[in-house]
Amino acid sequence: MAAVDPFDSALDLLRRLTPKHVATHINSIISIAPDLTEDLLASVDQPLTIKRCRDSGREYLLCDYNRDGDSYRSPWSNKFDPPLDVGGLGGVNEGAGEGAVPSERVRKMEIKANEAFDIYRELYYEGGVSSVYFWNLDDGFAGVVLLKKSSTPGGNSEGVWDSIHVFEAIERGRTTHYKLTSTVILNLSSSADLGELDLSGNMTRQLEQDLPVDNDDSHIANVGRLVEDMELKMRNLLQEVYFGKARDVVGDLRSIGSLSEGARARDQQREVIGGLGR
Amino acid sequence: MSHLEEVSAFIEGAPPGELNDVVTDIKILTQNEPEIVDQLAPAFEKYNEEQFATVKLPGSSQPVVISSHNSLGGGRYFDVESSSSFDFDHTTQAASNVQSHVLEGAQADLVKSTLKSVGTYVNEHYPNAAFGVYPIESDSKVAVVIVANKYSPNNFWNGRWRSLYIYDPSSGSLEGSVKVDVHYYEDGNVRLITNKPVHASISSGTGAGIAKEISSAERKYQEELNKGFVSLSEGAFKGLRRQLPVTRQKIEWDKVTGYRLGQDLGGGSSKR
Repeated sequence: MAAVDPFDSALDLLRRLTPKHVATHINSIISIAPDLTEDLLASVDQPLTIKRCRDSGREYLLCDYNRDGDSYRSPWSNKFDPPLDVGGLGGVNEGAGEGAVPSERVRKMEIKANEAFDIYRELYYEGGVSSVYFWNLDDGFAGVVLLKKSSTPGGNSEGVWDSIHVFEAIERGRTTHYKLTSTVILNLSSSADLGELDLSGNMTRQLEQDLPVDNDDSHIANVGRLVEDMELKMRNLLQEVYFGKARDVVGDLRSIGSLSEGARARDQQREVIGGLGR
Repeated sequence: MSHLEEVSAFIEGAPPGELNDVVTDIKILTQNEPEIVDQLAPAFEKYNEEQFATVKLPGSSQPVVISSHNSLGGGRYFDVESSSSFDFDHTTQAASNVQSHVLEGAQADLVKSTLKSVGTYVNEHYPNAAFGVYPIESDSKVAVVIVANKYSPNNFWNGRWRSLYIYDPSSGSLEGSVKVDVHYYEDGNVRLITNKPVHASISSGTGAGIAKEISSAERKYQEELNKGFVSLSEGAFKGLRRQLPVTRQKIEWDKVTGYRLGQDLGGGSSKR
């Protein structure tokens, strides 16, 4: 038998254990297998945290792509908070993480993308926080579009939605090849008459597409359309799984109606259909 | 340093029907400390008793329930329906060494009549369930356990319904809970976990009365749960993200880069 990669086992385990407590599970796995720390933190999506930009006063979202050690880069000011040590790597590296700030051209697109997705956020989420981070690649650029919205507290039900859209844009002259990986983390809970109910989890989908590009604004519009279509698809999927599938499985476990009456009704129906055929 | 605590928590959190998959992952993650897997028996015992594991006794086709309520200690359990006791291996989930176990004592008649009535109810509403009724707490109370599983790993979902009720003949009270656990994991990981407490009193004090109360409490809960899915969908879910902007049109991205909030944003809004 071929040896199984412990990283695959860790991912399989995280796909099975309660998604709501993914942070606890990751910490446990890391304590057992410290070698997996970086790979797990980089590849397992967790609910996003919010920070306020010191310069602009606006909120932004934190993830691995705008992090350097304990500092995070604000998409509004382009500055790290807390500031990075002078003489560090900040500003030199144009890739993701490790004090990276994008090149001038990519930062210009990042600013426009943040403005565009701020509008998107207001139209679709009517609240919440959005952040977009871009970084340079050898043959193009990449980015992550983050959106987070929490339901207003109070009432019988609560929910939090986190969208994490990571894309690569490989530039090939007049067309660009986009590769998008989208994860939505949706945690819902309800109390009151129903007793305790927790309905939480995440779903991931990928797509690749070639799209025409006239100028750098085309990239914003292309990524915008890809993310918008993906979120619409995923929202429908989440609705189907969270509310349709879950209810159907409960119905498969226990039947509200009597099973013997149901069987009798089916027999009668068969007789009627059989009678029509004769 | 041993990681028994972390690994035991993984076992406790294994979704319905996926214990073996979780154990396989654990074995690979702990290959540097292989002794840990041999120390998992207490975690398996806890999982089996809490999740109401089921086992078919040798020579029988009827599954019987494993729980703390029908434990005789030392890894032996009893089943009232088949009047037998047996050894249960928590690691392999296999039963052996079946012996006769005849129920006696103050609650024996109530246990048997409850078993009969609950059996009729379970057969009418559960396509695939195991159940048991046992005298507990020095023969002073009666426990009713129902567990239904449906596993569909080829379609990436599994589910479990667990009910536990404790009837106290001295007060006529029935206390219990229904727990539903559903896991969906196709390109994701979605889990439904519920816990609904049940309080009732049984004036008749009969097995038929107990079964009738359980039947009506569970029907009511399942109906409430179905309504709960609708209200979560229409409430919290809808409030988080709209399906489309208020204009009911997708965004015109070519315009967006040149526009600011409060202006003509959603496509087609100028036509309204």
